[in-house]
Amino acid sequence: MKTGDWIDLLARNAGPAPRAVAARRLWPAALGGVAVAAALALALPGQVDLGAVGAALWLKLGYGLALAAAAGWLAARLARPLATRVWAAGAALALVVAAMAVLGLVGWLQQPPPQRLAYLLGHSWTFCPWAVFGLSLPALAAALHALRALAPTRPVAAGAACGAFAGALAAIGYALACSETSSAFVALWYTLGVALSAAAGAVLGPRVLRW
Amino acid sequence: MGGIDSLDDFENGLKPLWLRAQAGDESAYRGALARIAARLRGYFARRLYAWPDEVEDLVQETLLALHLQRGTYDPGLPVSAWMHAIARHKLVDLLRRRGRSQALLQPFDELDEAQHPAAAADARPAQRDLARLLQSLPAAQRRAIEWTKIEGLSVAEAAARGGVSVSALKVQVHRGLRRLAERVRREP
Repeated sequence: MKTGDWIDLLARNAGPAPRAVAARRLWPAALGGVAVAAALALALPGQVDLGAVGAALWLKLGYGLALAAAAGWLAARLARPLATRVWAAGAALALVVAAMAVLGLVGWLQQPPPQRLAYLLGHSWTFCPWAVFGLSLPALAAALHALRALAPTRPVAAGAACGAFAGALAAIGYALACSETSSAFVALWYTLGVALSAAAGAVLGPRVLRW
Repeated sequence: MGGIDSLDDFENGLKPLWLRAQAGDESAYRGALARIAARLRGYFARRLYAWPDEVEDLVQETLLALHLQRGTYDPGLPVSAWMHAIARHKLVDLLRRRGRSQALLQPFDELDEAQHPAAAADARPAQRDLARLLQSLPAAQRRAIEWTKIEGLSVAEAAARGGVSVSALKVQVHRGLRRLAERVRREP
């Protein structure tokens, strides 16, 4: 086919360009990712009395939501071929992690020294990061699928952003099955779970985000 | 056109057309794509001087990518910068498929467009037959593309002929073109 004919074909009946393509693809991934992570988390063995978790539940949900918003923004920026304001979205993500780290540190310092290690490790520190990571995998698949239809030109960064986004969604779901009450625990082990998911996304990005 | 303009002239000529095209003006879209094709031909010809036969195929492949991704264009940015980001990605992808190291590409970035106007020569014929590839699409997608984009039926007419809703027909066209882009990438 000649290029002129090809241009005719592309232009004919093209209609207006679609709008907000990244948001339209990432929102379903977010909602589906949270729903699946929450359902799987609630199916984990052992009942958790969320009333007894108290304010820590809201801290976990708030942290997960803030992380998801920042990482989702970053993924949406990196979904474009000419990615602008990446630094702003990346800074927002770093700020959320830093704010949680400060909260965790303050909580940790308020403990009497002999109890600080227990405050940090809780009773599930060996399980929590892996739970967040495992629960993030469906959301990671959905987020990468969403970005595949867009045009990321930095696949490692875009994959990592998808992973952080999925990890944050998983953290929201896992909060419903987690009985830990310390802010230092959330700041360290939840963040580690999200980081594992981001690393998986960075590895997968160059393999799946091809177009 | 295109290849001999400076980047500023190119951008200033393209942007108003492009914005009208984004809003749904079909003839502006055709004009914008023609300018972009000329620009891409020069851009790829200078970088693929060892494989001149690949140039026109890559121009067509990049035009398809631009069309599929036009929703990712941000009106606050230069069209030419967005277009070059996609063109560069497609060039790197081609070189990777051909087994060339991406490192080879780095010096190309320093090429000054305006200093090499002669390279934006006439189009050589494309090697790849997109019409034949279109035939290989699933029937519903192929028909949706043929009706609206080759026979020139309106989307509503094509939807009525296919017995589907207008939005379903648009989805068939878009999915068909996306699948076409995937097949183009997998062709040797």
